Amino acid sequence: MKKIFSLLLAVCLALALTACGGAKETPAPDSSAGAATDTPAKTYKVAMICDSAISDGGWGAACYNGMVDAATANGWETAYTDSIDQSAYADSMISYCDLGYDMIFAPGNQYSDAVVQVAADYPNVFFAVLNGSETLPTANIASILPDAKQIGSIAGIIAGTMSKSNVIGFIGGMELDTTKAKLANFESAAKTINPSISAVSAYAGSFNDTAKGMELAASMINDGADVFFGDASAVDSGARQAIDQKNGTGAIGIFDIGQPADLLGQNPCVVCSVVTDNAGMIGLCMKDVQSGTFGNKVVYGNLENGCVYLGKFNDELVDADTQTKITDYVKALQDGTFGK
Amino acid sequence: MDGSTISDLIIATVRMATPLLIVALAELYSERAGMVNIGLDGIMAFGALVGFLVCYWTGNPYLAVICAAVAGVGVNMVYAFCTITLCANQIVYGMAINIFAPALASFIYRVVFGVSSTLAQATLMKTVAIPVLKDIPLFGKLLFDQTPMVYLSYLLVIITAIYFNRTKSGLNYKAVGEYPKAAETMGINVIRQKYIACIICGFFAGAGGAYLTTCYVNTYSDGVVAGRGFIALAAVIFGRWTSPGVMMACLLFGFFDALQLRLQIGSNLIPYQLFQMIPYVMTLLALTLLGNKISGPKANCKPYFREER
Amino acid sequence: MLKKNFMNVLIPMLSILLAFIIGMIIILCMGANPIQAIGFLFRGAFGTVTNLSNTVVRSMPLIFCGLCTCFAYRCGIFNLGGEGQFLMGAMAALAVSLLIGAEGPWVTVLAIVAGILAGGFWGLLPGILKSWRGLNEMITTIMFNYVAVLFMGFVYTSALREGSVPQTAAVPDLTKISRIFPNLRITWGIVIAILVGIAAWYFLFHTSKGFQLRAVGFNPTASQFNGFSVKSYRLMAFVVSGAIAGLGGASDILGTQFRLISGYGSGYGFDGVAIALIAQLDPIATVIVAYFFAVLRVGSTTMQVGSGVPTSVIDIIQALVIIFAVAGSAMMHLPTVKVFFSNLFGKKEAA
Repeated sequence: MKKIFSLLLAVCLALALTACGGAKETPAPDSSAGAATDTPAKTYKVAMICDSAISDGGWGAACYNGMVDAATANGWETAYTDSIDQSAYADSMISYCDLGYDMIFAPGNQYSDAVVQVAADYPNVFFAVLNGSETLPTANIASILPDAKQIGSIAGIIAGTMSKSNVIGFIGGMELDTTKAKLANFESAAKTINPSISAVSAYAGSFNDTAKGMELAASMINDGADVFFGDASAVDSGARQAIDQKNGTGAIGIFDIGQPADLLGQNPCVVCSVVTDNAGMIGLCMKDVQSGTFGNKVVYGNLENGCVYLGKFNDELVDADTQTKITDYVKALQDGTFGK
Repeated sequence: MDGSTISDLIIATVRMATPLLIVALAELYSERAGMVNIGLDGIMAFGALVGFLVCYWTGNPYLAVICAAVAGVGVNMVYAFCTITLCANQIVYGMAINIFAPALASFIYRVVFGVSSTLAQATLMKTVAIPVLKDIPLFGKLLFDQTPMVYLSYLLVIITAIYFNRTKSGLNYKAVGEYPKAAETMGINVIRQKYIACIICGFFAGAGGAYLTTCYVNTYSDGVVAGRGFIALAAVIFGRWTSPGVMMACLLFGFFDALQLRLQIGSNLIPYQLFQMIPYVMTLLALTLLGNKISGPKANCKPYFREER
Repeated sequence: MLKKNFMNVLIPMLSILLAFIIGMIIILCMGANPIQAIGFLFRGAFGTVTNLSNTVVRSMPLIFCGLCTCFAYRCGIFNLGGEGQFLMGAMAALAVSLLIGAEGPWVTVLAIVAGILAGGFWGLLPGILKSWRGLNEMITTIMFNYVAVLFMGFVYTSALREGSVPQTAAVPDLTKISRIFPNLRITWGIVIAILVGIAAWYFLFHTSKGFQLRAVGFNPTASQFNGFSVKSYRLMAFVVSGAIAGLGGASDILGTQFRLISGYGSGYGFDGVAIALIAQLDPIATVIVAYFFAVLRVGSTTMQVGSGVPTSVIDIIQALVIIFAVAGSAMMHLPTVKVFFSNLFGKKEAA
C-alpha cells in the first residue's frame, strides 16, 4: 500500500515538473522566433472576437470570412475567438494585445465599450470596430460603418416590390442603433414603393436562439407577412427554416432577404441578399495600419464605394421585369433620387 | 384574436412543450430514485449535437434520436458514478455536467465542421398523421398531425403513470427515492436501482435534446437548449412529481413561452424578461402554497452510503 | 490530523493535474502544441504585472461567492443562490450610485450597504421558504437565480438602459471603489474580500455563536435538544451568506465592472460552490482556491488566444477540474476509502 502511494506521488511530481519545465522553456523560442521575423519583413497579425459562432451561417461567418479574405489579400495572419460572453470581450482582447497582435477586429457596436477600455491601455495596437459610432474613433480606434440606412432601404425595396400580402416582417437580434436604422428604412422604403404595406417586427434578444427565430417567423407568417428581412445571425437561419417549412414542397410564396453575405442558394426561400463587402473595408484598415495612418477615422461602406451592393437574384422566384425594377430603384437610391 | 391565431398558438404550445415534456419525464425518473439531476441542460445539449450529426450524416432522424439518447446515457454516467458510487453532491455534478457537456458538444461541432460559412442543415423528422383522429374537426389536424416523437412523449406520460402507481416494480422504484434504507432491507438493490434511474434519465434527456435538432430546427448552434433543462426541472416540481402533473406543467410553460413570443411582435411595451420569469415564479408560488406536504421524494438529493451504521 | 490536511491539499492538486493532462491531450489532437499552450497559460496569468493584477481582480468576486457557499454550508444549508444574491447586490449598488444624483465616497458606502441588504434579502427569501414551508433550498435558490438573472436583463435592456447597446450607464467616477495602485486595476474590494474571509473564519471557529451554527449544520436534531434555535440559526446563515454575495456584487460593480451587461456574473454562483467544496469549507482555504480559479480563468484566455484552440476546450478543462476535484474529496469521505487510508497511515506511523 505504502509503495503504491509513494509511486503515485512520484508520478505526479514528475508530471508536475515536466509541466512547469515546459512552461519555462516556451517563452524563449517563441520570442526568438518573433525577433527573427521582425527584421526582414514584418508579418502583421489581426485577431477577431465575436459573440456568435463564426460558423453560424450569418453575421459571424460573414465577418470572419471578410477578415480572412482581407488578410489573404494583404498578407496578414489571422486568429479569432468566438462564442464569448459580453463579460469576456475585454479579457480576450487584452490577451491578443499581449501576444503582439497589430490589429483587433471587433464586428459590432456592442464591443465599443470594451474596445475603448483596452485601447487606452495598449496605444500600439489598432482597433477596428464594425458598426462603431462616428464619435468612437481615437488615435488607435477606427470605425467601419456600412450604411445601415442604405442596407435597410435596399431590403425594403426588394420587400416592397415582392410582397403580395402587403405585410413584411423584420426580426432583429438586439436593439442596436444600426438594427433600428435598418428596420426604420426597411419599412419606409417598402412604403415608398407600395403605400399600403405594413411591417411587423420583433427583437429576439439573442443572436443564437435559432428556435426563437423560428417561432417569431412562424407567428409573423400567421399574421400574413410574406417577405422577411433579419439582422440576427443564427436567429435568422431559424426564421428561414420556418419560412421553408411553411412554403412546403409546393410553389414558394414566402420569401427571405439575406444579409450580410450573399446567401442565395442556402435556403430555397432566399430571393436576394443585401451584401456588405466587409473584406474591402477591413482591407482599407489594414493598409492604414501598414502605412501608419490608422485611427481617428470612419471607414464608410455604401453603394457609392461598392462596399454595399445588391446580391444575385433567385431567377426562379424573381422574373426579369421585377429584377430590372428593383435594380432601377437601387440605382435611384444611390443617386439620391429614390422616393423623390 | 381570430381562429387562425388561436390554432397557431395551440400548435406552437405543443411544439414548445414537447422537448420540455420528454426531459421533464427524464428528471421524474431520476428524482423518483432520489437523484436530483440539474445537469439536464448539458445532457440535452450533447443529445442535440449527436442527434444533429447522425441526422446530417445518415439522413435518418429516428436513428439520430436513438444515438442521441445513448450519448445522453453516456454523459449521465459521469454524474451517476460520481454521485452514486462516490456519494458526491448531486447538485454540484449536475452543474458540472452543465459546463462540461455543452462545451464538449461545441468542441465536437467545431472539429467536425471546421470554420465554414455554409450552414450545415440536416433533414427533419416528418410528421405522421393518425388516420381517423386527424379528421376530428377544429383541433384534430393540430394534435394528430405531429412527429412520432410527440406521440411517444404523451404515450410515455401514460406508461409512467401506470408504472409508478400500478406495478410492483414501480412501487419498489419509488421506495428507493423515499426510504432507501427500508428499501434495502426489503431486498431492493438501491445502488442498482439508482443506476437504472440515471440510465433512463440520460436516455430521455438525450432524446429530448435531439428533438430540438431533429424535429424542431434543422441546424445546431451553441445555446440551442437555451435553459430548457431548468424549465423542465421546474415542471417536475410544479407537476408535483406525477407524470400527468408534469405534462400539464409543460403545456402551461410551453403556452406561456409561445404567448410571450407572440406578444412581443409589434409591441415592445412589456419587457419579455418578465414573461420568461413566469415558469420560475409560478414554481416558487406553487411550492409555497403546497408546502412540504408534497415536496417530492424524501431522500432526494441525499447520498446513499450502504455501509453506514 | 496533519496527514488528513495533507490529503486535503493533495487531492485537489492531483485532480487539477489530471484535468490538465486530458486538456493537453485534446489540444494535441487539435494539432496545437500542448507545452506551448501551458506556456501561454502561465504567461497570461503571471507574464506581466498587469496580468498578475488581473488575476487578483478576477479572484475578488469568486472569493465572495465561495465564502457565501462556505458560510451557508457550515450551517447545513446548501445555498446555490450565490449568483442571484451576487446580482441583486450588484443591481442595488448600481441603482443607488446612478439614481442618487450625486457622486463621492459617501455614495460608495451607501451603494455597498444597499448591495449587502439586497443580497441578504435575496438570501432571506429561500430562508423563509425553508423554515416556514420546509422547502428544499437547493431548488428554490436555483429558481431565485433565474428570477434575478431575468430581472437583470430587464434592468439593462429597459429600466436603467443607456444608449443603443443593451447595457446600463456606468458608475460615476467618484463613486467607484478606488484602486490600491493607480495604474493597476486592483481595488480595495480585494482587501474587503480577504477581510470577510478572515472574519468568517474567526466567527465560525473562534466564537460560541459560530460553534453553535456549525453544530446546527452537523446535527440539527442534537442541536435542537441542546436548546439551540435551529430555525433562527438557519435563517441567519441564509441572510449572512446572501449578504456576503451581495457585498461581492456591490464591490465588483463599483470596482471593476461599472455597468450591467448581458452575461454578467454568469457562473459565479456555481464557481463559488465548487470553490468552497474544493476548499473543504474552510474560509481561508476558500480565498486561496478562489485565487487559483482566477489564475486559471485569466491564464486560459491567453492560452486559447495563443494556441488558437476553440474556447470550448477551456470550458472542458475547467469542468474537468471541478469533476475530478469534487469527486476526489467526496471519495475521501467514503467509509471504505477512509478505512483504506487510516490503515495506510496507521502502518506508516508504525514503521
